[in-house]
Amino acid sequence: MNPADLLDLEGYGHLLIQGAALTLSVGVAAMVVALALGMAGALARLSQSWLLRKAGTAYTVIVRGIPELVLMLIVYYGGTVLLQKLLSLGGGDVRVDINAFLAGTLVLGFVYGAYATEIFRGAFQAIAKGQIDAAKAYGMSDSQMFRRVQLPQAWRLAIPGLGNLWLTLLKATSITSVIGLTELARQADIIKAPTHRPFTVFFAASLLYLAMTALSDLVRIRVERWASAGFRRG
Amino acid sequence: MIVRRSILAALLLAAMASTAVADEKRKLIVATEGAYPPYNFVASDGSLQGFDVDFANALCEKIDAECSIIKQDWDGMIPGLMAKKYDLIVASMGILPEREEKIDFTIPYYQSPTALIATKTAGLQVGADGFVDPESLAGKKVGVQRATAYETFAREKWPKAEVMVYDSAESADLDMTAGRLDARFDDFIVLQGGILKSDSADDYERIGGIWAEKDFGSKGEGIGVRKGEDELREAVNKAILDMRADGTYKAINDKYFDFDIYGE
Repeated sequence: MNPADLLDLEGYGHLLIQGAALTLSVGVAAMVVALALGMAGALARLSQSWLLRKAGTAYTVIVRGIPELVLMLIVYYGGTVLLQKLLSLGGGDVRVDINAFLAGTLVLGFVYGAYATEIFRGAFQAIAKGQIDAAKAYGMSDSQMFRRVQLPQAWRLAIPGLGNLWLTLLKATSITSVIGLTELARQADIIKAPTHRPFTVFFAASLLYLAMTALSDLVRIRVERWASAGFRRG
Repeated sequence: MIVRRSILAALLLAAMASTAVADEKRKLIVATEGAYPPYNFVASDGSLQGFDVDFANALCEKIDAECSIIKQDWDGMIPGLMAKKYDLIVASMGILPEREEKIDFTIPYYQSPTALIATKTAGLQVGADGFVDPESLAGKKVGVQRATAYETFAREKWPKAEVMVYDSAESADLDMTAGRLDARFDDFIVLQGGILKSDSADDYERIGGIWAEKDFGSKGEGIGVRKGEDELREAVNKAILDMRADGTYKAINDKYFDFDIYGE
């Protein structure tokens, strides 16, 4: 076997790239959702309100306890059937189509938001108590203190954890194939059939995943440097 | 909270906007897997092709429907049909009792073919029924996949043969090419894509006819339809028989196979 054959995809290469592009879009969109939910969740868990604290805890405990694949199936298929039943109450046969990209993004964002909640909570709690006291002593309002003291530092402390989360999330996008998205892993599975080259196809797919994760790490290092401006570099 | 409520409202509106309204010409969505050549697979330009795809297109023409064919991952195939993501599954799906609990099937539109391949020097004979003569298999080593209908069939029908079991078709093929087997008994399409494509393909020949799934007690491959959609199911049943009668089936069949896959 010619070593070059190892990367011969028989003209199917562009489909793998398309799959990688979809993987990246679902990943980025879900990460945005996860960050927003994570921040909201962390604030809820640390809030003065008993109700919000309980709600935040329920979110992280329940969501982190259910496999994302199960949640994906519940939302996409179960949700569709439920909506159809509800909308058909008035009579007639109603067909509802939940967009698979939207469903995949929201479910992944929802699940990883629970993990992000814990990362942000840890970050907020790691801020030295003395700084909070100092901010109050300066007469800062709660929102001023949040913007000037807590948030900038929480970001910095959360970045290593969030970087980790992103890598996990990026690879977890492969489960969106079950709701019909032809992302990288599913595309590889499809291409291995006509080419009869499972090793080549999955090898190429792993290289694409690796390229995405390696690139992500470079971005994380830059972001970390930016967020740590004024702190010791470690 | 207001923001959340408006998002919910927008989602509901979006859901209602995409609600299909009954139309004059029936519009159907057909799902296939896209990873099971030669039945359904994706060409390098990204288009869906294969026996299932051609069959689905011809079928839609017969029932006068406007169809779009989409690819769906195997694991979500039945849930997707039940959730009305599509109306028909044309994906080489075997009619199995556990699937029939969830969805309905049409009559089989093909039956996976099974064949016996032997080395030309093994001296196997074809009997009066058109299939291998069990006597000629005496003492011959026949490779089959473990715990399959093929193994049961071989042990029952060919008591004098030495049945060798393997975990996969590939490992059985390897032993055949290494000269440790006289014959291979398996899905004919698998054999054609495996041992009959190998470098030593010229050393082998098919012995006798092709078995259909019903010879192994299976029903064959059907088209999946949601439960309760009897009118559609009947229309498809009729179309399958019509396609058999008017030659449409044969034309598609001959594009992919050098034998009749219907399994009559």
